[in-house]
Parts: sequence; structure tokens; C-alpha cells
Amino acid sequence: MHAVYAFVSGPLAWLAFLLFFGGICYRLVRLLWEVNRTEKFIFSYMSWKYSLRSIGRWLIPFGTANWRLHPGLTVATFTFHICLLVTPVFLLSHVVLWDEAFDVSWWTLPDGVADVMTVLVIVCCAYFLIRRLVTPEVKFVTTASDFVILAIVAAPFITGFLAYHQWFAYPVMAIAHIVSGEIMLAAIPFTRLSHMIFSPLTRAYMGSEFGKVRHARDW
Amino acid sequence: MKGIACVAMAVLLGVGFFSVSAFSQEEMVVVDNRVFDAPQRPSSRFEHDAHNEAAEIEDCAVCHHVYDDDGVLVEDESSEDSSCSECHGIADEGRIPNLRKAYHRNCKGCHREQGAGPVLCGECHPW
Repeated sequence: MHAVYAFVSGPLAWLAFLLFFGGICYRLVRLLWEVNRTEKFIFSYMSWKYSLRSIGRWLIPFGTANWRLHPGLTVATFTFHICLLVTPVFLLSHVVLWDEAFDVSWWTLPDGVADVMTVLVIVCCAYFLIRRLVTPEVKFVTTASDFVILAIVAAPFITGFLAYHQWFAYPVMAIAHIVSGEIMLAAIPFTRLSHMIFSPLTRAYMGSEFGKVRHARDW
Repeated sequence: MKGIACVAMAVLLGVGFFSVSAFSQEEMVVVDNRVFDAPQRPSSRFEHDAHNEAAEIEDCAVCHHVYDDDGVLVEDESSEDSSCSECHGIADEGRIPNLRKAYHRNCKGCHREQGAGPVLCGECHPW
């Protein structure tokens, strides 16, 4: 157990963060380089004003026509993404590890609140899964990779929930939690989870084209 | 009547003895976490004597260390007569790590070095 823990919390953690941050930088540089090479004209109508206006509008729940058209999905997707980002960053157990390793620490969520937010992430994952299986227009564009990506994201939260409560097989669950978190981090830049970095850019592009070129709203 | 008095005396003595011994190091079964305002996890299980026997620790200073003002470990001096929280506060103070971090580094750090003992959160803080 010590050797496994030392490996997953040492070299494997470094590798996961390296792939995460390095991968993000690589994908961003690559994207800008490709745009510059093939569709340089895009830069001519990119606008901070219309970019931020569009991003801001789409960040408001029910702020766009599309959000209002799918209220269930809107509630699920906002709940999911807020809990997904906030819970791991402000979880006491995680901040304790940052403090131990690097002498840095920050505000943390009460464990009870983090527990509820974890459950919300899992419930939303179940909602997305059922939606993929049941809703015809979603089912039509679903491939096996969509389920793999969903599993990659759900796994750290399911194992984290079970490890926190120590209901069964605690050491195995704790190790599984660490490994699944590392898999998710490493997968973000190289799968469609990269929408974490690309969605603001897509939104900025749409906002700029609609605002500056078509003089229309994109929501 | 006399019998009842005897039993009562025995119970009182027993309670008194247990109260004293419950907080002495020899009988220690959990790490003292009373200094924390609102701890979110249960105090760490720690049977002082059983631990040291199993870990073959005879020198108190292995855990009860003393550092001088320059942050250098003072050899041949130990601090078992003072509580951890006398030096380690709730927040970091210069080079002195906060109490929670000091506990974690002292216990988990040694366990990692030795390849023995608990290292996962729930192994020390079970519900």
C-alpha cells in the first residue's frame, strides 16, 4: 500500500499535472498557430467587447434563448459545472495536501457542503447519461467516446464520495480516487473535455462574428 | 448500608482514576485536538505506548522535537513535557508549521519514510 500510495501521490501526480498544464498550453498554442496559418482573417474581426458580452450572457442561467428552451439541461449543466470546478479546488482534504506539500493554503468549503456538491455532480452525470440514452436528438449524435468521457469525469467524484464516507474497501477506494482524478486531469487537454479551455474561445468567436460583423446577438 | 457505601466508594475511586489516566500519555488513545475550534474530522486514533512499541521508538525526541530560533533541530533535547500547541499555532508562524500540518508531517511524514503506518486520510481519521 505504501509503494502504491507513494507512486500515485508522487510521480503519477506530477505527470498528471504536467499533462494537464502542458497539454493546455500545447493545445492553445497549436490552435492559435493553426488559425494564423489557415484562417488569419478571423483575427481581423475578433473583438474584446463582443467576446466578453457573449461569454457573459451565456454564463447567466436562462440568460439565452437556448438555455430557456432546455430548462432541465440548463439547471443540470450549471449545477454540474459549478460543483465540478469548485468542490475539488476548495475541498479541505485537498487543501490540507497542498499545505503539507507546498506550504500554500486557501479558504475551504465545510465538508458537509462539499459532500452535497459531490452528490450533485454524480446526480448530474446520471442525468447526462440518461439524456444520452433516451433523448432521440442526443442519442443520434452519441458515440462510445461520450460515455467514456462521462465515466472519466464521474469516477473521481464517485470514488471521492465513497472514500470520504469510508463505507467499504477504504484504502482501495482512496487510491482509486487519486488515480481517477489524475486520469481526468490528464484527459482534459486531449479529449473533448478540452471544451474547458476552448469553449470561451468558441464563444468569443461567435460573439465577435455576430456582434461586429452581423450586428446581431448570439443568444 | 455499609455495602452500598463500599460500592459507591469503589465507583468514585474508579471514575477518579480513569479521569486522571485518560489524559496521561501512557493511556493516550487519540491525538488531543481540543485546540481546534471546529475540527471537521474526528481526532486521529493514536495509542501512544502501543505505537512506540510497534515502531520500536525509544527516543522521545523522535516525535517530541525541539528546534532553535534558527530552525535547526536541537540534538539530545526533547519536548514531551509541553503540548504540541504550545509551539504550533492554528496558522503558520514563520518557519513553524501550523498545528494540523505539524501533526500530518510528523506522523504521515515518518510513516512514508518508514514505509509503515497509516498514510491515507481515513486511516487516521475514521468516522
